[in-house]
Parts: sequence; structure tokens; C-alpha cells
Amino acid sequence: MHATFRLTLVLLVAGGCRLMAASEPALDFNRQVRPILAEHCFHCHGQDPKERKGKLRLDEPTSALAVRDGHAAIVPGKPLASELIKRLRTSDLDDLMPPPDAKRPLTPEQITVLERWVAEGARYDRHWSFVPPATPVIPQAGADWARSPVDRFIAARLTSAKLMPTSEAAPHTWLRRVSLDLIGLPPEPAVVDAFTADVTKRGEAAYGAAVDRLLASPHYGERQAEEWLDIARYADTHGFNNDSARSMWRWRDWVIEALNADMPYDRFLTTQLAGDLLPNATLDDHIATGFSRNHVINSEGGIIDEEYRVEYVADRVRTLGLAFMGLTLECARCHDHKYDPVSQKDYYQLFAAFNQVDEHGEDGRVANARPLMRAPTTAQQRQLAGLIAGIASADQALTTSMQAHAGEPWAALNDLGLGDGDLLNKPALHLIVGADGPANAARPDAKPFTSSVTLADDAALGAVFIPPATGAELTKDAIDLAKPWSFITVIRWNGGAGTLLSSINWTTNRAAASYGAGNEILVRVDGRIEVRRSQMWPTYAAQVVAEQPLTAGAWQHLTVTSDGGRNAAGVRIFIDGREVASDLLADDISGSPGGTARLGARQGADPHPFNGRLADLRLLQRVLDPVAVQTVGDAALARLVRQAPDARLLPWARMTVARQRDPAVASAWAQREAQHQALLALQRSLPTTMVMSEMTEPRPTHVLLRGAYDAPGDVVTVDVPIALGVAWPSGAPRNRLGLARWLTDPAHPLTARVAVNRVWQRLFGIGLVRTAEDFGLQGEFPSHPELLDHLARRLIAGGWRMKSLIKELVLSVTYRQSSRREAAAISADPEDRLLAGSPRLRLPAEVLRDQALAISGLLRHRVGGPSVFPYQPDELYKTVVVDAPYPGTEWVPSTGDDRFRRSLYTFWKRTVPHPVMTAFDVPDRESCTARRARTNTPLQSLVLLNEPGFVEAARALGTRLLRTEGDDRSRLTLGFRLVTARAPTTRELAVLETSLARGRASFIAESAKRYLAVGTLPADASLAPVELAAWSAIGSLLLNLDATISRD
Amino acid sequence: MSHHPLTRRALLARSAYGLGAAALGSLLSPTLTAASPSSLGIPHHPAKAKRVICLFQSGGPSHLDLFDPKPELDKRFDQDLPDSVRKGQRITGMVAGQARLALQPSRYKFSQHGQSGLWLSELLPNLGTVADDLCVVRSLHTEAINHDPAITLFQTGHQLPGRPSMGAWLDYGLGSANADLPSFVVMTSVPSKGAPDQGLLARLWGSGFLPGRHQGVALRGGADPVLYLGDPPGITREHRRGMLDDLVALNTQERERSNDSEIDTRIAQHEMAFRMQTSVPELVDLSNEPQSTWDLYGEEAKKPGTFARHCLLARRLAERDVRFIQLYHRGWDHHGGLQDRMPVGCKDVDQPTAALIKDLKSRGLLDDTLVIFGGEFGRTCYAQGGANREKYGRDHHGRAFSIALAGGGIKGGTTYGATDDFGFNIAENPVHIHDLQATFMHLLGIDHERLTFRHQGRQFRLTDVHGKVVEGLLRG
Repeated sequence: MHATFRLTLVLLVAGGCRLMAASEPALDFNRQVRPILAEHCFHCHGQDPKERKGKLRLDEPTSALAVRDGHAAIVPGKPLASELIKRLRTSDLDDLMPPPDAKRPLTPEQITVLERWVAEGARYDRHWSFVPPATPVIPQAGADWARSPVDRFIAARLTSAKLMPTSEAAPHTWLRRVSLDLIGLPPEPAVVDAFTADVTKRGEAAYGAAVDRLLASPHYGERQAEEWLDIARYADTHGFNNDSARSMWRWRDWVIEALNADMPYDRFLTTQLAGDLLPNATLDDHIATGFSRNHVINSEGGIIDEEYRVEYVADRVRTLGLAFMGLTLECARCHDHKYDPVSQKDYYQLFAAFNQVDEHGEDGRVANARPLMRAPTTAQQRQLAGLIAGIASADQALTTSMQAHAGEPWAALNDLGLGDGDLLNKPALHLIVGADGPANAARPDAKPFTSSVTLADDAALGAVFIPPATGAELTKDAIDLAKPWSFITVIRWNGGAGTLLSSINWTTNRAAASYGAGNEILVRVDGRIEVRRSQMWPTYAAQVVAEQPLTAGAWQHLTVTSDGGRNAAGVRIFIDGREVASDLLADDISGSPGGTARLGARQGADPHPFNGRLADLRLLQRVLDPVAVQTVGDAALARLVRQAPDARLLPWARMTVARQRDPAVASAWAQREAQHQALLALQRSLPTTMVMSEMTEPRPTHVLLRGAYDAPGDVVTVDVPIALGVAWPSGAPRNRLGLARWLTDPAHPLTARVAVNRVWQRLFGIGLVRTAEDFGLQGEFPSHPELLDHLARRLIAGGWRMKSLIKELVLSVTYRQSSRREAAAISADPEDRLLAGSPRLRLPAEVLRDQALAISGLLRHRVGGPSVFPYQPDELYKTVVVDAPYPGTEWVPSTGDDRFRRSLYTFWKRTVPHPVMTAFDVPDRESCTARRARTNTPLQSLVLLNEPGFVEAARALGTRLLRTEGDDRSRLTLGFRLVTARAPTTRELAVLETSLARGRASFIAESAKRYLAVGTLPADASLAPVELAAWSAIGSLLLNLDATISRD
Repeated sequence: MSHHPLTRRALLARSAYGLGAAALGSLLSPTLTAASPSSLGIPHHPAKAKRVICLFQSGGPSHLDLFDPKPELDKRFDQDLPDSVRKGQRITGMVAGQARLALQPSRYKFSQHGQSGLWLSELLPNLGTVADDLCVVRSLHTEAINHDPAITLFQTGHQLPGRPSMGAWLDYGLGSANADLPSFVVMTSVPSKGAPDQGLLARLWGSGFLPGRHQGVALRGGADPVLYLGDPPGITREHRRGMLDDLVALNTQERERSNDSEIDTRIAQHEMAFRMQTSVPELVDLSNEPQSTWDLYGEEAKKPGTFARHCLLARRLAERDVRFIQLYHRGWDHHGGLQDRMPVGCKDVDQPTAALIKDLKSRGLLDDTLVIFGGEFGRTCYAQGGANREKYGRDHHGRAFSIALAGGGIKGGTTYGATDDFGFNIAENPVHIHDLQATFMHLLGIDHERLTFRHQGRQFRLTDVHGKVVEGLLRG
């Protein structure tokens, strides 16, 4: 098929189809014919059987050439006998195609093309992007100037267009260009000078060394990540009208780290799609799966859960298509794809892979939506590992110090006088056995339960509560679970799942907004304590599970405390007086739930009443701290061990005695405890991130009729569109991991092409395929199809590594050309698609601001971390954001270094993105976007001249210049070099001098002071205000130059 | 903006280019996707309206308490909504847990107004005085039952994010009629008392997949009516003009050096920004408005940020030929306490809306200005919680609700369509949101099926694949 790619420039530039002389090569079906058929005919004569008219398909030859009632739509070689051509040309409005009311008329030129195509034999070719990339022969063209295969492919098109590359850009120009493209920061003048000198000395080697330096910079990943964040629709809020904050920055940092580490693209893709399914998945692998959780999530009260859950799955499929395959898969959600070979069934087979997440449509009102996990940073992981190792060695020390006490009688425990002191004073509830049944020692006048319950009296343990199978409801005013509380008891669990305490009425309507509201303490079947605090189960709930289980059949001391707050971290679980670590399953309540507590079973028929006993039960309307819990726990254990010398408790008893008697043991104990507490505190403070994880019971996936969540059709299982010609990898699991293996199969026609096209787009402004998100039949044909294939093959052959590919590209003659093109080249190729010159591009939003911060010396370079809040107008959120105190509804400006961090760290609120960013064409991040617009508007002028951040940067630049040794001219020259990497011409310098004089004449002390007060950093008081203000105005002028805000 | 030592004319004359507004207008043409009204074939037919003022009432005001009287509900107070009426309509999670759906009559009296005898609630006495200019559509419907998708559908033609807003489509299709002001302007306000409830979303005035320059520009209260409009403190207007001249001089040299014509556009945009720094303050400077203005719009119009002020500004924007003027007023989500909150909302908007219509009419602008007044959906005929004669709330209802239109080729003094006795289902002449959008486009001279933009392989339009012009709303 590649022979047919050779087309003349005229055709490409005209973007349409002009009639060729007879000597011209045959028409190319993919390039010239199919677009016409697709636009005007396939809607009714394409692959969607529902829309098809007259049972005729024009998208494949079998139907198009078939004879029906003596006629065929197409008779190869015979346009006049072809019904298609007749119907296009007829003047009979009843017969005319397309029907006039379809409003899709063809131009006469288009009809002529179709006619000629039929005359030439009506050859159908497969769509170019569905054929695996070939290994094209490297063209001979450009022998006199090409430096790399890339240049040869470019040369071939230039030659046939009778164009030549322009001259090479000056070294400083190239260095600024490549620095902005690779790390998003301009080179300092000293770096430019060193490079220029190096070029003089070493020539070509200097270029390679410069690229290596940039590729090794930690800022490479930051710059390259910007595009991926658009694609992954990354943001710091959930979207929709509540638009509260989420925490996904750990995923964002994973991307930066992966790019910096030059993670091969196949692994980059696989980890993000299916990291959780990899064998021995690491924490990072799990974090990476946040890619499929970056979609918007709706927490509007009253939405229909399934409707939105389905939207999230659909969003994942859409993103899969646009990001990795360049296919608009979502078009097949409601019906077979009108243009591309993706049936509705294909769509739902892909959908099935992303439909296995235990998630909810309504979620994320105040925090991350489930599933989520704690995601310590690298530094925190080191801290955790350090604490765990510290605890291990402290345990060792404790064991060693205890050796001296191995034979000691533990009876000395009696002498220690372990007691509760007044820690348990003023309980809300203390169950005791009264004269006529259970009583509350705290309120002897009131019955504790609403129905009759028996307690057994036990001298050592206090009142023993044997829960009835229906549980026992406490009186309404016994305790307010919406406020801080502690649940303290001695427990014997006899096995099986069970309810200790519940204030949730599970019998209400599942659809109700208050379903599942309340508190619960449960024992899981494995003995682990689970605590739930929920406003609406499972959507708005905090849910934690202790890591350490209870021991079946043994008496143990159990304490659960809640601070009554909104965070799961406010729930703590203690066994035998010691706090235990817990897993976080959900952390999203927007208020504090209460409810009337019931002991031993849930309200209604609980299949899992608690199987065991509770003794000496107390509820406090306050939180016991860990030290108090330990005291209380020790006292209870001492009573227990005296009552029944339990082998389980003997080591504890010996230790407790030894702690009192031997300072070495006491100190070893204290050391261990301190580290244990530090570990738990660190665990509670860890950031969380949303992840993908598979449900244990697979959820069946149905084709959804018309795409509607409530119109299920046939059941489907995970599979891929057969028309792409790559089979499901043999032996691969039928899940996201198998899907990733399929995508990264070297024979896959799309994955590598789409990836290298984006690299090209980053470096040359427009992709080889302009429609970076659409390689399908409606997408644009590549400007250099062989080059695209060459790069795709090269990527795969190079182990999918991006850095070496990028290095080759930026060292090519093509990339190193000057951006100045002469009139002839411009008129022949207005958009510079043939690259007879390097494109001159306005910088993206992030780079514009980062550059200003860098040049002025304000930039703070810390890589990664939670998002930051630079200057933003105070009133921006007012009158717009939801009227509720959700996180993310208020912009609290950062202080310190976070004011001056790179822009990719700026907090991204989807419904109100930062106005500086939106002025410069960032997408709204509501859904996957594979390319940005580059517009030129008056608002941009207002931002660059007046926005406080840019004004402050201008002042910092002015300060930098004024503090540099030299005279006006040398300082102005430096300033110009800082922003453009080149020296000003005499004429340019003259304008700068005029402008400086203008500033000096315009400012007076009072106005200068006001100008210098913009921002939050104080102006340099050692400099004269009028002079500094004049230089700051020069800073503003320099930061606004077209040469500054563009990369040439 | 405190310095106005020079007139605008003098400043322009001093500028290095001194380009007139007309010349600049052409320079403002898009730089990436070349589209202009003429290249799009617009107008497709003669336009009735040149501009739109959309007074959007966010939250979903109750049609049953404002526009659509239902005596039957009074008779059936606290009875269950018959299944034969509900017909399986899905209901939100807000009331899905309720044991019953008890019918809730309006506590407000309705009466007829004007020559046409248009029915209006007692909460809208001022609108009654312009009844003969109003067309109330009682048979509007939407699939959405929640705020975000419903308001997104109304403004972008699709329930999910990503599409351009109506104003962006019009800016794309019609271009600007004023070289000194953005052609799509947005103002947001909150109730004078009580909670504003639901949030708004920048996407409602966003450009979606259209180029970013088509997005709406928010006009704000306070010192900077447009974000970053004012020069930094300490910079005088002459100094700014001089800095711009220097910038132009340097950019002109860069233009010669690089041969990049995009720089011409940038220079023009700097000049447009400079003009906006004068034209926008002029626009929001109300010091020359006579007392009759304040009598008409009410004293509230003197307070920045109020709906009344925004209505007055809307008239000034219309006078300046701004194409799409979008107001949002929040606080109409009356799940409970409707009796307390509805009167506040109505008091905030009734007089200013009527004033705007009268004002436009007296200036001869109503004929070619389409005025839209309504929300994203209506409210249920059953109570959220229990039915109560005095104190009640209503849940969202998209299956049938009302909107009021005026001017711009709309047939005044008419009621179009009808609901059943419960105000629950449409009884005649259903109008979908897409039909309404198609009708708006029609009035502006646009065939809604032909104003399209190619994105991700498909031709998109405001009305998706739906929408029919509602002939019954058009003035003959």
C-alpha cells in the first residue's frame, strides 16, 4: 500500500481532491476516496445495520459490487453503469443521492473523484491505520543535508514539493527551543554561553551532550507529564456541581517519576491500565492504576447511582480509545460505530474490562471515592520502613532485656496495684447487674435497654453481657454517637462474623438518601474489628478494618474510639490496651452520623449476631487517648489473669511486672511503644489515592441498548475489536491486563503510531497525524505516513523507550532548522506541515508562567507533592461554587515556596480552573484531550500585563537586572538575553532604552511604591523605588515580548 | 483604572499603529481554524434576533408556583400521585425513600394579565405588566433529573461535559458585532437572602471543543469587571500606552526577523485589550443613568452583584451589540421551605426582569433581542417530605416544566403547550430543550443542523442529532 502514499504536494495542501491529468498515479482509496464516502454516504450505507438504507453498504466491496435487481452500486471500470455515479449525477430529486434532506451534498469535484475511482477499477484498501506499521525503506532524498532517517523522510516530501529546508538555527536558538520543549524551562545566559563555546570546540558532540543533560533533568518528567495529564483528565477535584477536592497527586507524581526514569512506553501503558493485576504488584503499580480513576465523579444528592457508575466505566473506555489507540470508541456506545470497524458489541466487550470495580455512581463528596488506598510517598515509605525496622530491633532489645525475667513469678502483678484510676469516670453507660436486672451505673434511675436483657455477674470481669440473637437496643439518650465516644469492653469472641454495636437501620429503602446512616463496630469472620461511620452507605462512609485479629475463645480487652469527626483517621482500635494498625477502605463522610445504638446485633434480622460475650462494658462520651487506653487495658488484663491464669496473658503479665522492676525493660518497652505510636500516626497521615481493583464476584456486563444504563441487552465478556487484526494474546487473562498485553503487541497497528505521533506533536506543534486522538476513518491522513511507520517501528525496536527517540528527533536537521520561512515556502505550505523550517509556537500555559518564574529567579524547583495554590483572585469562587463547606470550595492561597512552584502543581478545580491557565488554552480536564488549541486573544494580553503573579515576576526580573553589575545597556542586554537567549539588535536595544527612560519619567515615589507592592514578596528596599519600578516595567515588557512567549 | 488623563481617542491616535476599530475587527479573526460567519454560510436565512439575553434561574424554579396553575392539585391535596400519572417516571434519590408521593398544591394565587390574559403567580406581579410581550412555554421537557446534567443540557445541548455552550456556538457562528467588547458575557448572582445552593460550572460558558476564544467572559462586580482588566497599581494610562507602543515596536522587529504573521494578530490583540480597558469601565459606569432607570430596575440595581444590577448591565450590553448576554441567578432548588425562599427569589428577579423587557422595548431593542427566563427543570407536583398547605418543598421534575420568552421574533402574549391536571406530564405540544435551542438558533438566522464543528471525527452541533424549530413560538 505504500506505493499509493506517494502523492503530490498540491493535493495535500489543498486538503481536497483536485482532478489530475491522465498521467497522474491512480487515486488512493484511503486518502482521496474514502473520506468522501465516509462523510456523505456511510451514515446510511455504512456498517451500522440500524441506520442502513436499501441494504446497501458502500464501506466494503462485497455489498457495493453486488448486483441487485440487475443493478450494482459499483461496476468497476464502468462509472456509467454504476448506480452510485448515476444517483450522484441525476437531476431527479427522488433518485438523487445523498437525499437533499440529508443536507450532505457533494461538490462537483468530489463526484468527479468518485467517478474516476470507479473508472480506475474501484479498488478498496483497508484503512491505513488498521494495517500494522511496515518497516519502510528510507528514502534517498536529502542526501546532501540529511543527518538521520527522519530527515530523509522529510526530505522526500520537501523534494517532491520543490522545497528546501531552511538554514540551521543558531545554537542559542536551538538550545532555548529544546530546553523549553524537553524541560519547560529556558536556559540561563551562562548555560547558553557555555553551550555556544562547546559547539565551537566540539561541534556536533556539544549538541548530543546538551540533549543528554536535558533528558537527565528531573524537570524533564514535569514538562512531558503536562500532556499526559490532559490525556488522563487529571484534576484535583471530582467535577460536577459539588466539585469537591480529591487526592490524586500521588498518581501525578508517579507519571513524573516514570517519565524521568524513561519507563518503556509498553510498561507505562500496562501499569496504568492494569498495574493492580501484575504479578507481585508493588505500591507504585497500584498507584499507577489511578489513570482509570481520574474521571469526573458525581456526588450530587439524589442521582441514580447506576446511571453515573456506567458513565465512569464509559469514560474509561473513551479514554482507552483516545489515549492509546487514537479511536473514538465512544461512538459505538449507542450503536455500531458509523465509520470505524467497532461494533456496539465490541464496545461493551472493552467496557467489560473496566466494569469490575467495586465503586458507586454517587461518591466523592468530601474525599476520595472508593476504591482507594493509602499511598505513602517515597520519603514516607522510607520512614515507614525505618519505623518497622526500629520496632523489630526494639522488640529484639525487649526480648533480650526480658531474658533475665524468664522465670520470675508473675504473681507480683498483684503488688503493682494496676487500676483504672479516674480514667473511666463519668461514663455515659456502665453496664452493671442491678437489683432487678441490668442497670447503668452512670444513671441508676434509668433502664439502659429498651427491652429486657439479662446480665451475668462475674466477680473478676464485672457484668457479663450475653447478647441475645436480636441484639439489645440501648435507650435513645444512652450515648450520642455523633459526638466523640469510646467503646470499652472485655470481649470473648467465639468465632464467626458478628455485630458488636450498630446504630444503622439497614431495613430502610436502599435508594433513600439516609440509607445506612449510623455507626457500627463489627467483628469480621477472620476476627478483625471493622468500624463503620456512615451517612449514606456505602457512598458516604468511613470504613476501617484492624490489621490484627481477635483471638477466638480468649478474653481480651477491646477499645474503639471515634473523635466524632469526618475523617476515618478519627477512628482508632485498641486490643489489650495497645493500638493496632488498620486498613482504610473508605474515607468520605461529610458530617457526623449518630443514631440509637444496639448491642450484639443489627436492627431487624441480623444473620450475624455477635457470638461471644462482652464484660464490663462502658461507653464514654469522650475519646480515651492511647496512654489512657493502655492503663485501662492493663488493669483489665490484670484482673483477667488473676481470675484465670491464661497462657496467652502470661508473657504480658511477666512483662508488666518486669517493666516496673527493671529499668532496662522499662526503657526497651518505652522505646518500642514510641516507635509503634509513631508508625500508627504516620499511617493515619498518609495521603490516599484512588485505584482500580477487581471485584471478587465479577459483575456481568451487558450491551446497553442505546447506551442507556437501564436498558441491558445481551451479556458480553472481555474481548477486543476483531477488525483491528490482532487477536487476544494467547493465555492472557480476560481482564485489563490481557487488554494491555493486546495493546502492546508489536503487531498492534495503532499503539506505537499513536504514541510517536504525540511525541511529534510535542516537538513540531502538529502531529504527523493532525488528529492525534483520531486515527480512524474520520481522522486526518498522516502528512508523512512512512515516517510515522518508521518511528513506530523504531519505538518498538528500541524497547519502547522514549528518551532515545526524542534525542534522535531533536538532533535531526529538521528540528534544528531556523523558524524563519520565506514567503514562497509559506504560501506553498501555510501550516508548515512539510517542515521547510521549524514551527514557531506560542508556549503552553504552564511553560509561560514557569518561564517567567524561572527568569525572574522566583521559581521553586521541588518536584512532586500535593497541589499548590498560587495567586488567584479572591472573588473567583464566589457566586459560583456550591454553597457547602466541602473541601475544594475555597481557595486558600499558598504561602512560602508553594507560591512559586511549577504550574503543573497548581490546584486544578475542574469547574473553575485557574484563570491564567484557561486564558492560554488549557482544556477543562473534564475528559480526555489529546491536543490543545493555540489561540491568540485580548485576555492573554491582560493576563501577562496585569496578573499579580506576572507583575511580581516582572519586579523580580527588574530587581535581578538592577542588582547585576553594569550600565543600562548591559543590563537591558542581559534582560533581553534572559527572555530570548539571544542578544538584542541595536534597534531592539534602542527601544528598550526608550522604554526605560519612559519608566523613569512616569513613576514618582508614590506610584513606584504601589507598583512594587504587587504580590506577596517585599520589594528590595535597598534599591531606589522609582529606579526599581522603572526596571520592573522593563521586566514586564520583556516578559510580554512575542519572542518571549513563543519558542522559535 | 483610576487614571483617565487622556481620552481614548487621543490614546489611540498616539499608539504606534493607531489602527481603527474596523481594521482591528478583521485582525481578530481566528488564527487556527479559519471560520467566519460568511465561510459558514451564515445567516442561513434572515434573522429575527441579533442577540440573546438569557436570564437563567439556576436550581429549577417550580413551574407549579409560577407559571402553570393547577386547581386539581388543590382538590387532591395530600392524595397519592396516581400511578397512571407517574407512568414509571424515575425519581431522584431525594424522594426515592419516601413512603408516598403526596400531591402538593401551590399556596400562591394565580391571575390573568394583559390583553392576552396570561396566567401568572402572585409572586410575579411585575412580569404581569409585560404579559403581552411574554410567551410562556408550559410544555418544556428534559431527560435530566439532576442539576448538573440538566443545566449542562440546557446550556450545551448535552448532559455530559465537553460540548461548547450556546453562547460559544453563537460566537463561533455569528462572530462579534463589537470590536471593543467580548461578544459573550456572563454574570452570576445569588439570592439576597438564604442559601444559593447548587454551584455553577465554568463549562456552562465554556467553549468545549471550539477554540478557547469563543468562551464567555465573566463580568464581575468589584474593581476588575473583567479579570485582570485594570493596570497594576502605580501604572498610569499614558505609561501603559507607552509600554504598549514599545511592545509593538519590539514585536514589529520580531515580525520582520521571524516572518511570522501570527505576530500581527498578537499586536492587534494587545490593542483590543487596551481598548477593553476603556470600553468595559464605560460599560459598567452607571453614573449617568437617570433616576428613571433606578425607578424602573429598583434600588437593588445600585448594588454591584445583584440580579437587578445585572439586568441593567444586560441592557447596556445589548445597546453595545454584545451577542450573547448570560445571567445566572441561583437559589431556586426548593426541596424544602419553598414558602420562605420562593418569595425571596421572585422579589430578586421579578421587577428587574420586567424592567429589562420594558427598557429594551422603549429603546427599540426588544424586537431584535431574544430574552429567555427559566431554569434547568421544574418541580414535582408531589411534596418532598409531607404535603402541607403552607410549608412545603418539591423535588426536581424534568418531564414537564415552563419557561418564559420575549422579544427577538417570539410571539408575545401567548401560552404554548399544556401539562395534565397535575402539571406532571405534557398534555399537548411538547417542546424538548433541543427544540428550544433549535428555535433560538432559527431566530438568529441559523439552521441548527448546519452550524457544525468537526471534532474527534464527527460533526457536532448544539442540538446533537435532535431538535425541531417550534413554529408555534414564532411571531408571524
